[in-house]
Parts: sequence; structure tokens; C-alpha cells
Amino acid sequence: MDALDHLMTGFGHALTPENLLWALLGVVLGTAVGVLPGLGSSMAVALLLPVTFQLDPTGAFIMFAGVYYGGLFGDSTAAILMNTPGQSSAIATTFEGHKMALRGRAPQALATSAIGAFVGAILSTALVAFFSPWIIALALRFGPAEYFALAVFAFIATSAVVSHSLVRGLVALGIGLTISLVGIDTLSGAERFTLGVPQLFEGFSIITVTVALLAVGEVLHVAGRVHTDNAPASPPRRTGTPWLKGADLRRTVPAWLRGTVFGVPFGVIPSGGSEIPTFLAYGAERKLAARRARKGGRPDEFGEGAIEGVAAPEAAGSATAGTAMGALLGLGLPTSATAAIMLAAFQQYGMQPGPLLFERNGDLVWALLASLFIGSVMLLILNLPFAPLWAKLLLIPKPYLYAGITVFSSLGVYAASSSITDLWLMLLLALAGLMMRRYDIPLAPVLIAVILGPVAEAELRRALQVGQGDVTVLVDSGITVGIYALLLVIGAVVAIGRVRSRRAAKAAERATAVTG
Amino acid sequence: MSTDTTPGAPPASPDARPSWWRGRSELLVAALVLAIAAFLAVQTATMPVPPGTESPGPRFFPALVTIFMFGTGLALVVEVVRKPARPAANTGAPAGTAPADPPAGAEAAAEAGLAAAAGDDRTGERLDWRTIGIVLASLVAFALLLQPAGWIISAALLFFGVSYAMGNRRYVFDAAVSLVFSSFIQLAFVAGLGLNLPAGILGGIL
Repeated sequence: MDALDHLMTGFGHALTPENLLWALLGVVLGTAVGVLPGLGSSMAVALLLPVTFQLDPTGAFIMFAGVYYGGLFGDSTAAILMNTPGQSSAIATTFEGHKMALRGRAPQALATSAIGAFVGAILSTALVAFFSPWIIALALRFGPAEYFALAVFAFIATSAVVSHSLVRGLVALGIGLTISLVGIDTLSGAERFTLGVPQLFEGFSIITVTVALLAVGEVLHVAGRVHTDNAPASPPRRTGTPWLKGADLRRTVPAWLRGTVFGVPFGVIPSGGSEIPTFLAYGAERKLAARRARKGGRPDEFGEGAIEGVAAPEAAGSATAGTAMGALLGLGLPTSATAAIMLAAFQQYGMQPGPLLFERNGDLVWALLASLFIGSVMLLILNLPFAPLWAKLLLIPKPYLYAGITVFSSLGVYAASSSITDLWLMLLLALAGLMMRRYDIPLAPVLIAVILGPVAEAELRRALQVGQGDVTVLVDSGITVGIYALLLVIGAVVAIGRVRSRRAAKAAERATAVTG
Repeated sequence: MSTDTTPGAPPASPDARPSWWRGRSELLVAALVLAIAAFLAVQTATMPVPPGTESPGPRFFPALVTIFMFGTGLALVVEVVRKPARPAANTGAPAGTAPADPPAGAEAAAEAGLAAAAGDDRTGERLDWRTIGIVLASLVAFALLLQPAGWIISAALLFFGVSYAMGNRRYVFDAAVSLVFSSFIQLAFVAGLGLNLPAGILGGIL
């Protein structure tokens, strides 16, 4: 019951008016960027990064976590009402959610998704809070070789899973590692790849990299298509009260729980976000519905707005957020772009997430975990009755939205160190970000490589020094072997899943060609 | 999609064989990756190592990254040559892992860079370089003007430039919005949060 005591103390810290305000600010902002297509919680956190250095760390992280969770709540609103998912994590929700809206069941779909996101978030956060002593006990046995294995795991898993092309994921990883190499080597003091430019001695600022790639790169990419894209935004549909009847609840409650089960493990696996579990949860519900229909039960509603098809992906998506926070805090392992930026924020505050964080900054960690619960409740209240209001955000004119993002990006990059050089670097990296978007090279591996690259290098060199140049020290312990084995298993599962989904897509194409 | 042809290129007759480079412009990316790898290789080889550094020194990890970059760059060349992107006209491929219609926004979300949607749906997307150019020019002007002209003026210009590029044409109204926005940020962040922004030529007045 150690964890419970800590958590109660955490609630004590989190329930101060100031921290409640940061949580509220975070969840409101997170919901807003979640609703708006093209903006994600990673971009929001990146833009907030420079600003929050004026805050105390606890408030800042409570706000970041609020943004992270809020993004996963808000992304489904536009998906359901207008068939435009706010983030890629809501694509799976769109399929059935929008069909429900077309059948006049938009309020039920919105309620199902909001409650689903809440169930996923609360259950996964609770799991993390109560299993944290075990996570820490495991992490305390980590040495340099283990941390290096963890970094390799994050690198390969992110680049292999996130992109549909392994090669492009690896290219992204290489670009990120290259960026992380620039600057003075911390272990030896050697000057590396700086070309003698003094502003580069400390390397690329993580703020410049994240803001340029995520925000300015996105603005440029939108600019490159804004006059050719003709996707008129239909006004949000009128909605009534979000009331789920008993019959609906009997169908959604099991779906929420099944979705959570899909989401929880994916928070710990660096897969760049929560798209994969949402698709897995969607697929499972679809199969279950088909089986029920075959057995003579309820007819299969998939394709016409099945409520399970909304409930499960939403729960899965937000369940990853909880365990992703656990992996970040307990192991220092960022499993999504947003978590990677939060890891960078910890480093900027001079803290290294991992077991020591729970010892040295226990107050902060438990206040953060407690505020995750508080934030989830706030999000439920914000999203359940007010979803149609949030959809009004889609009426903001695009030019102002992107002009505002550009100005905020420049503000953040400049203000972080009052340096014009950073603005030029931002421009350069934004062009790189545009190029990567144009050619479908994923961004998450770049961020994770930039942030974990120095850690990986330091741990690798430390491990090799201990082993006196003997490479076998890297696979000397059960933990390292286990991590590499898990990596192989994930690789195999992804490869098989990819082949199967490609086959299924082809089959579906044939089927629609025949029937339609 | 725009139908204009690149200046200098001969007008393509409908039955003309498409250039080999069509859908293979990504080779430029591969070339860039290989160029970075070459840069890393030269810099690593010529890096001065401080005396008395322990065995895996500062050149060890860069050497690994160099090899990695060469490998992935070459792999990208092979992949692009074997599977060029399809022209943007036929974008009927299902984008998601789930066998359902690709929703309208799926593309946008997928291109947010973090998508996991399986299936190769790359297309020869054409970018509107004029609009991108205006945004870039606004950013360059901002970087050049920030110190001499101060935050309020340069940020307002940046805001105006981007909203102009994105299609806003109500000049007076947009100029007013830009100035209000930049002034609001100046107030909120300098007075409220204590960030340090250059006051520039308005410094005496404010």
C-alpha cells in the first residue's frame, strides 16, 4: 500500500489551486489542438516548451500531461462530427463514429468516445501508479548496457513501427542521430561537427529541433497545399444530449475494457503514438461483431455506425497515454513524440527520468500521477457536454491559425536563448521537416533519436569502457537479452501484421469492387 | 491538381513516355542522406581527439552513425528506384490498416508524420512553392528585422505574411489583427512571464 500513500500525498500537492489551474490549462489546450486537424499534442507541447521554463517543474509537467491526455480526448470530436480526425490516433474512430453521426446518433458517439477515453486513461494511469514500485525495482537493476539496450529498443521500435516503410523510418533515425552528434562531446571535450561555429558548441537546442520540425515544418507543408486542397469544411452537425441508454451501455462497457487492454501494452512499446492499438482494437471489435452475427446474435452493424467501433479505439488510444507516462517516468523511455519532448523537458530541468526520479523528485512524480487522474476527470467534464462547442474551433480561419502558430514558433525558438542563430537553424530544420513530410519520412524517430542519442552514446561508451572493449558486455545480462528478444518479437509481429493487413486491404478492395 | 508544366520542360503530349525521374524525386533525399554521411565521414576522420581520452573515444559513435547513414541512404536509393511514387491522380489505395474507406482527413493526419497507417500510399504530391516561398520570406524577414525593428513590428509582419500566403486578402483588417496579436504576445509574455523580447525602434515609446 506504499503506492497508495504516495498517491494520496500526490493528490495533496496536485489539489493546490495553482496546480489545478495548470492542469485545467493543459487539458483545455490539449483538447483544442486535439480537435483541430493537423495540430497534435506533440506540436502543442513543443510550442509550450520554451514558455514553461518560467514555471516551476511540477506545474509545467502537470500542464504537459494535461495536453497529452487532452489531445487523445479531443481528437475524436471532429472525427465523429465532420469525418476529419484531429490526430492520426482518431482515424480508427472515424470509421464508425462518423457513420453514427450520419444516422443521427452523434451525441451517443461523442459520449461513447469521451467516456471511452476516460476509462482508458483512468485504468492505465491506475495501473502505472500501483505498479510503479515494480517498475522502479526493475529499473534499479539497469546499468549502462541495459540503458543502451533500452535506447536501441526505442530507436528500432519507433522507426520500424511508425512508418509504413522501414527504410524511411531508419533514414529518420539517422537524421536524428546526426543532429544529436553536433556539439562538444561531453565525455572527452572534443569538438564535433560544429564547423567552428561557436553557437553550435552546445549542439542543436531541443526546442529549436522540435518546434522547427513539428510546427514550422507543418505550416510549410500546409502552405504547399492550401491552394490545391479543396476540402470544404462542412459545419458541425447539430447535436442533442449525450445520453447512453442501457442497451448502448451493455455494448460499450465491454468494448471500453477490451480497448483498454489493447492500449495498455502499446504505451510501453515505442511505437510513436497510439495509432496501432486503435486500429487493433477496431479490428477486434469488427471481428467480434461478425462472429456474434454468425451465431445468430445481434446483427453486425459495422459499416453503418457500430457503437463498439467508437468505444474500443477511443479507450485504446487514451490507455496508451497512461502507460506511456509510466514508461517515461519509471524507465526514462519515451514511447511517443509527445513523451519524447517531455523527456527533453525533464533534461532541461536537470532531471533524468528513471528510478532515481522517484527518489529524488518523488513529490513531483506523485503530484504528476495524481494530476493525471484529476486531468482525466476534468477532460470528461469538458468533453461530455461541450463537444459541439469544441467543434466550433474548426471555424477559426486557417490563415490566422497557421500565422499564429508561426509567430508562436518564432517566439519560442528565439526566447529560449535570445539567439537569432536559433531562428536560422529553425528555418533550416523546418525545410527538412517539409521535405520529410513530402516524402513520408516519419518525424517521431528523429525526435526520439535527438533526445535519446546522447544517452545511447554515453551509455554505450561507458559499457564498453567497463568491459574494456569487449563487445559481449552489451548482451551480458538477462535484462539486455530480454530487451533485444522483445525487440525481435515485436519486429516479427509487426511484419506479420503488415502482410496480413495488406492482404485484408486487397481483399476488401476486391469485395467493394464486386458489390459497389 | 495544377496542370501547368515546369518551365523549360517540353509540353508533355498525352502519350509521351513519362520521364524516368517521375515519382523518383525522392532520390534527392537519398542523395542528401548520402551527402550527410560523407560529411560525417570526413569530419570524423579529421576530428582532433583531445589527448588522454579513454578507448571508445569521441569518434567511435559518429563512425557508427556514418556507417548507418551510408547504409540507409543506399537502401533508400534501392527502394525509390524499385518502387517509384505513383502519380497523384490515382489515389484510391486504402490508407488505413483497417479495410474501410479512407476518411477525408486520414491523409492529413498521416502526413502529420506520425501515422502508422500501413499500405504504401505515397503519391507524387506537388507542392505549391509560391505559397511556401512567401511563408519562408516572411520568416527570413522576421529573423533579419527582429533585432533592429523589435518584436511588435517584426512579429506583426510575420503574421501578416503567413496569413497573406494562406489566402487572406483583407489587407487592412489583417494588418490590424497582426498588430493586435503581436502586441498581445508582447504584453502577455514580457510583462506577464518575463521573457526577453527585443523592443527595437519602439523601445523608446513603450
